[in-house]
Amino acid sequence: MSPDSGADRSPEDVGATADGMGETDGGTGFVDGSTLARWDRISGNERAVVGLTALAVLLFPYLFAEAPVISSILSGYHGLTTLILIWGIFAMGYDLLHGYTGLLSFGHAAFWGMGGMVAGWLVQFFGIDFPLVLVFVGLVAGVLLAWLIGFLSLRRGGIYFAILTLAFGQMFYFTMFGPLGGITGGEDGLLLEIGPLLGIIPLSGGVPVLTPLGFAGSWLYMLVGVFTVVSVAVAYRVLNSPYGLVFRAIRENEQRAEFVGLNVWRYKLVAFIISGGFAGLAGALFTIYNGSSSASTFYWIVSGDVVIMSIIGGVGTLFGGFLGAGLYLYMSNVLSTSIGSLWHLLLGISFVLVVWLFPDGLWGGIERLRWFVRLAIDDPGAARQHLVDVARAYVDATVAFALRIVRFPMRLVSLVSGGSS
Amino acid sequence: MALLETEDLVKEFGGVVANDDVSIGIEEGERVSLIGPNGAGKSTFINLVTGLLEPTSGDIRFKGESILDHEPHEVVQQGISKSFQTASIFPELSVADNARIAGLAAEHGSFRFNFLTRLDDYPEVEDVARETLESVELWGQREVPAEDLPYGDKRRLELGIALAAEPDLLLLDEPTAGMSPEETEATVDLIERVREERGLTYLFVEHDMEIVFNVSDRIVVLHRGRVIAEGTPDEVRGDPEVQEAYLGGVEA
Repeated sequence: MSPDSGADRSPEDVGATADGMGETDGGTGFVDGSTLARWDRISGNERAVVGLTALAVLLFPYLFAEAPVISSILSGYHGLTTLILIWGIFAMGYDLLHGYTGLLSFGHAAFWGMGGMVAGWLVQFFGIDFPLVLVFVGLVAGVLLAWLIGFLSLRRGGIYFAILTLAFGQMFYFTMFGPLGGITGGEDGLLLEIGPLLGIIPLSGGVPVLTPLGFAGSWLYMLVGVFTVVSVAVAYRVLNSPYGLVFRAIRENEQRAEFVGLNVWRYKLVAFIISGGFAGLAGALFTIYNGSSSASTFYWIVSGDVVIMSIIGGVGTLFGGFLGAGLYLYMSNVLSTSIGSLWHLLLGISFVLVVWLFPDGLWGGIERLRWFVRLAIDDPGAARQHLVDVARAYVDATVAFALRIVRFPMRLVSLVSGGSS
Repeated sequence: MALLETEDLVKEFGGVVANDDVSIGIEEGERVSLIGPNGAGKSTFINLVTGLLEPTSGDIRFKGESILDHEPHEVVQQGISKSFQTASIFPELSVADNARIAGLAAEHGSFRFNFLTRLDDYPEVEDVARETLESVELWGQREVPAEDLPYGDKRRLELGIALAAEPDLLLLDEPTAGMSPEETEATVDLIERVREERGLTYLFVEHDMEIVFNVSDRIVVLHRGRVIAEGTPDEVRGDPEVQEAYLGGVEA
């Protein structure tokens, strides 16, 4: 895209193109050029996305836990970087369902929990402790369970769908605690000895070169990092496949999608299964990370957490999940040590602020910023004007909101007096 | 053999009979209009044909085969497409993506396991999208978000989406509702042109008889769920029962 064509695009457009999908290059197939050139550009995008993700995964531990000044201000540490990536995979997969397909599920703890629990069972009862096998089995468990729960829940739409997923999720939670308490370890969970990677590399060991330089805390981080990159690559591919378009069609207008001849129900089921697969994979990584698995991973609050992460990060942005997971876990793990349980309040406030100021989340905010910087370089006058417009819009909205709050008691009074007369 | 044939189609909602023994046949290439006052059962009839509703009794045959137990997307894949009463589009997506979605359904059928294949590896989808936009004259606006189009253009995009499925039969549910006289005329012209280009058969559903007068070979009049008249525009217009129904419709 030429720099000047970026200047006349509104920030609202930017959110929609944040995922780097079809619109970014202005209707890919319609641009003149051979099929080969087109393929090159698209796969170039894909390679760029995967490459940048890999770079981010490598730099993240250094910036967060090692770099002078930044890391001490943040008081970050290596263990948290691994955790953020694990939850990030979970949130990103969830966004495929919620952000792109428009289906709000409140039961994703079931897939996350099942992925982790099946991995735990494999170690506990079968003595199979290869990390790669555990992750694969977690993925399969997530897929199969999502198939079942999706098959049953997707019979209904909207809020009924959300409630059904919540109900199924809780059903699994109670089953894991109660009837299956004997094999899930109940309150205590299962304490596991996870085997070395590929049979020889202990997960807790440092990575040659990278660990001394501060780019990876341990082999565990490398394992999670590789799965992060693979997950991003797969999710990006899905979004650029026909499915990505069909998912968004369903989100935009489900009835129309059905009436162009698409089997909406099956596409929704696949969206559900794919996001369940990511959840199961992340759940297995979580078990490996903790060296234990617990029925508490099935709890409905976990489903809520991933919803909050994906909304804070940005709905329908793919990468937002990692930012959302990062902010959430940073508050619950780092800030909570200094401000105690006040972090919940802080999370709530940041949730409101993000939804209020950046409806498309942190990732959308970054995209807007990038757009604005480009505008400021191309056309400083327009950038200033934009800033004024945005400020005015926020002031107007805030004033209108305040007025409504002030007027509410008066309206109530007039309503009551009007009703009695 | 008629392209579409309904036989004694009945639909009851509770105690209300919305369609009462409706038997209609549409021949290939025919321009048929289904008219009637508000509440006559036109929308119910459309919803029965498209598979959105299940009839209480009766049969619907398309190309000689019953399509009674078909889901809406299966009916579309069989060759019956519907243009909605309101501009039913994908608002936040670009005009081009709207057409691509329709092209995808037309080229790939109702479902395929290709979630790891790039959309760009299907040039035929692009071709259909392009043809669609050119035929409804929206090619120039392909990068505009669909929600930013003026209303008349939205309706044309909607029509394009319905046409992308390359239907044998197009159901037009009040395609000019909410349009200015100029837009109405342009839309009717567009429909006529597309019909000639593609050899389309259509069923035009409308409550205003005047609009359909010039574009119908045959008019079927519904009133309170029953067919009360059927024939050429002139025959139908002179029919006393039809006049009665329309005047009665105004009264009610």
